Amino acid sequence: MILLEILFWFALLSLLAFGGMPAVMPEMQRLVVDVNGWATAEEFIQLFALGQAAPGPNVLIVSLIGWKVAGLAGALVALFAVCGPSAALAWWVAGLWERFKDSPWRHAIGRAIAPLLVGLFLSSGYVLATPGAPDWRLWLITGAAAAAYLATKVNPLWILAAGGLAGPLLLN
Amino acid sequence: MQEKPQVHPPRTLFELFTGFLAISARSFGGVLPWAHRTMVEERRWLTPQDFAETIGLCQFLPGPNIGNASIVLGKRWFGLRGAIVAFLGLVALPFVWVIALGVLYLDYATNPTVNAVVTGVGLAGAGLLVGTAIKLGRDLVRKPAALALLGACFLAVGLARQPMYLVLPVALAIALFAARRGWL
Repeated sequence: MILLEILFWFALLSLLAFGGMPAVMPEMQRLVVDVNGWATAEEFIQLFALGQAAPGPNVLIVSLIGWKVAGLAGALVALFAVCGPSAALAWWVAGLWERFKDSPWRHAIGRAIAPLLVGLFLSSGYVLATPGAPDWRLWLITGAAAAAYLATKVNPLWILAAGGLAGPLLLN
Repeated sequence: MQEKPQVHPPRTLFELFTGFLAISARSFGGVLPWAHRTMVEERRWLTPQDFAETIGLCQFLPGPNIGNASIVLGKRWFGLRGAIVAFLGLVALPFVWVIALGVLYLDYATNPTVNAVVTGVGLAGAGLLVGTAIKLGRDLVRKPAALALLGACFLAVGLARQPMYLVLPVALAIALFAARRGWL
């Protein structure tokens, strides 16, 4: 049953997504492309793009994947699956967090997660920009966007729009 | 004399819903700045410190940060109903939006120009992630243990494509050990 598969895989993803959805993009791509064959790597980056071009939390990419695989029911199940487990954890932990305000473990966790997050964000960028064999044109767009983001203070939306312009110029 | 910031938490579930709707409706290219503007500056639901603490907690938790924040804040103000209402306010509009985009895209996906435009946007989005990584990573360059962990994570997940449910527990255990020894 396809809805149960969506539920299972995205619920698993939910609990792995420390640092939010960007950190878990490589795993999502692996599950969607390699494990389940719900989309090709090229389609995955396009679904990611549509998720970026929408307002609101970037978690909505899972609804697009669910939609592609199983229509409206798939979209709803995917969103519920990816938010449910972490939401339950947030509900439960909210009180504990205050109690351990001065615990050394709380600070240790923060310092421990930081380098892992950086490694995972880099992985996300690399995996998305390398859907097949390494292609300098794809890396050029990604690299230029990263540089623009670091060097300027423009709204990231403009960087996405520039990427959309560069796409047909470079890729076709 | 310093003025104490006045906060007025939402009084009704409807107010809670429209607040999160206002966040999600405007937040193109990043939710957190809009969450701050809506909840701290415009509606004064929270003090800036309270906002930072709540977001800090949600960044520790797995799952979408702002989604978790909607649960935590909704619970604080209205219990279970609040958590559900805040979450729905946050995702309702973006959900409709992405599905509409998805329908359009599936109609035009075979057009090579549309294809290249959408891919270009995705690649730029990947670039934003790389940029964020570099920004966050600047603080870590003088810590060899942090660089080693960062590199190992990238090798295992990015290059070797190992499943994260295997990599993350191991990496987290090592990182916690290193953090407790004061290496991070």
